[in-house]
Amino acid sequence: MAENNSVSKNKSAEERESISAQRSSRGSGGLIAIVIAAVIAVAGIALWIYQLSDGLVNTNMRNLSSWGLYLIMFMLFVGLSAGGLIISSVPRVFGVKGFGGIGKVATWVSICCTALAVAFVVVDLGGPQRLWELVAFANMSSPLMWDIIVLSVYLIISVVYLWATMRFENGTGSSTALRILSVFALISAVMVHTVTAWIFGLQIAREFWYTALLGPWFVSSALLSGLALILIVVVVLRKAGYLELEESNIRRMAVLLGVFTAVDLYFFGCDLLTSGFPGGSGAEVVALLTTGVLAPYFWVEVIAGVVTMVIAFTPSLRNPGPIVIAAALSIVAILCKRIQLMIGGFQIPNMDLPGVTTGPELTGGGQAFADVAAALVYFPSPLEFGVTIGVVSLGAFMLLLGLRMLPLKPKEQE
Amino acid sequence: MRLGMVIDTRRCFGCQTCAVACKSANNLPNNNWWNRVLTEGGENMDCPAGDYEKGYSLTFLPTSCQHCDNPACTRACPVGATSKREDGVVFQDYDKCIGCRMCVAACPYNGVRIFNWEEPEYYLDFALGDKDIPAHQKHVVEKCTFCAHRLAQGKTPACMVLCPARARFWGDLDDPESEVSKLINKRKYKQLLTDRGTNPSVYYLV
Repeated sequence: MAENNSVSKNKSAEERESISAQRSSRGSGGLIAIVIAAVIAVAGIALWIYQLSDGLVNTNMRNLSSWGLYLIMFMLFVGLSAGGLIISSVPRVFGVKGFGGIGKVATWVSICCTALAVAFVVVDLGGPQRLWELVAFANMSSPLMWDIIVLSVYLIISVVYLWATMRFENGTGSSTALRILSVFALISAVMVHTVTAWIFGLQIAREFWYTALLGPWFVSSALLSGLALILIVVVVLRKAGYLELEESNIRRMAVLLGVFTAVDLYFFGCDLLTSGFPGGSGAEVVALLTTGVLAPYFWVEVIAGVVTMVIAFTPSLRNPGPIVIAAALSIVAILCKRIQLMIGGFQIPNMDLPGVTTGPELTGGGQAFADVAAALVYFPSPLEFGVTIGVVSLGAFMLLLGLRMLPLKPKEQE
Repeated sequence: MRLGMVIDTRRCFGCQTCAVACKSANNLPNNNWWNRVLTEGGENMDCPAGDYEKGYSLTFLPTSCQHCDNPACTRACPVGATSKREDGVVFQDYDKCIGCRMCVAACPYNGVRIFNWEEPEYYLDFALGDKDIPAHQKHVVEKCTFCAHRLAQGKTPACMVLCPARARFWGDLDDPESEVSKLINKRKYKQLLTDRGTNPSVYYLV
């Protein structure tokens, strides 16, 4: 370790730059990945156009489960965008030690995730051609409207912040301006996660969603999944020779990952107790999660959280390999949480009066997929999986293109 | 003014005539029912609650948009496509709806808000209902509007007209002299899901 460090310190910055440039940026591997991502993204867009023309009937969403995979992914990607805030703006705002110059990469990952979150809302809409109405007829009492505003602000601030960081590193920007900007980036990031939670948490119609805890809980889940994504990206880029980073930074981030996991599970415990303690209908919610149809998603989340904490808090396990596993498990855990939240909101009807169902039947392919999880009120259709893979590929395309074209590599000056 | 409806569940015998009257007056697409007569306790439509030992009972709950005095949907809609009018009617504007289905998630009364998941199709080759109803659209949310087009002509909603049991009553809940106000003063009633604080303008006499 010590030898490696001293060797790398002896190399000049330019040398390092050129070596890693040879190894990655101009390499054909990256280019092939970009092309593959672009092709899948185009296929996804084609599927989306099909969904618009033939109808959302091709999804498995229906009147009693009116949101599905798209908004599950929306929640997930809003959370995943938190990485830039932890790695970059928080250290700068509070003047604490950063994580070795990976702030720009982290901010770019955040920008890509935010763009994907917006994309998932768009593919869920029945009338994307009417999006202009959000400006013309904005109803300011709608949490969805608030979220659209803060997401836009967050996206703009993130881009400006990235640009300002680059300027600062080139010696042309002021550090005060950058620090002020990082304060706004931090505030808008916290608001993005909270307001996204409010889309659900303010709905008194759904027992599963209606809790004041949902806002802070979304922030903790976002910190967890966002940091996990940055860890995976950084470890992979380090392995690929794109950037150099002292392993101590990765270890420090892993400890933080464990802390965020603990906070997230603590919130979960608080919420379960508050729901279950009075008995009544809240106990139904707890049973749905722990022993009911959502139990697989609940227990995967809990077990993934425990494994993450074991890896994060055991010094001998805290190596890049296990850390990447813990990070991947963290993202799986938050995905499970998002699935619980979405399906759980629809699974228990307020008025248990069967008799008349409205709306079209599931399509053939949709029914085949729904049969896989027949106990759930909703399971995505093939089309929904296709569009989702397409949108995620669009994000991968953005991410890889940015890594190749933008000057995101760490510089000496922090 | 707060237009509202009182439904006498002791009179309703589940004939579904109001559901069909609604379907026909509003030219509803296939599989869309703005007004559904639900069966309390039973597994299926017209299926009684109870068992052989304790005996059976058959009670019906005609359910449509509750036109809440404090609606959850209008607050949630990002573009104001659903809004509460001066007369208390919760209205739905198809031309504004962006199809986000936030209102469906926000409404506690499962199933009253209906999204057109595909291009509306009809069993008949010709349009039913009144000529001044707005055309149904793909990918927008629709629901009972208390037959806003009939109200504009000074008529009552279509479901009121044909009820063979005369179980439905219509009027201004703000007017103490109206038939509906008198009924809910005199008789025992319930509103649906009062714990959600929405204060529905549809009352059920029990």
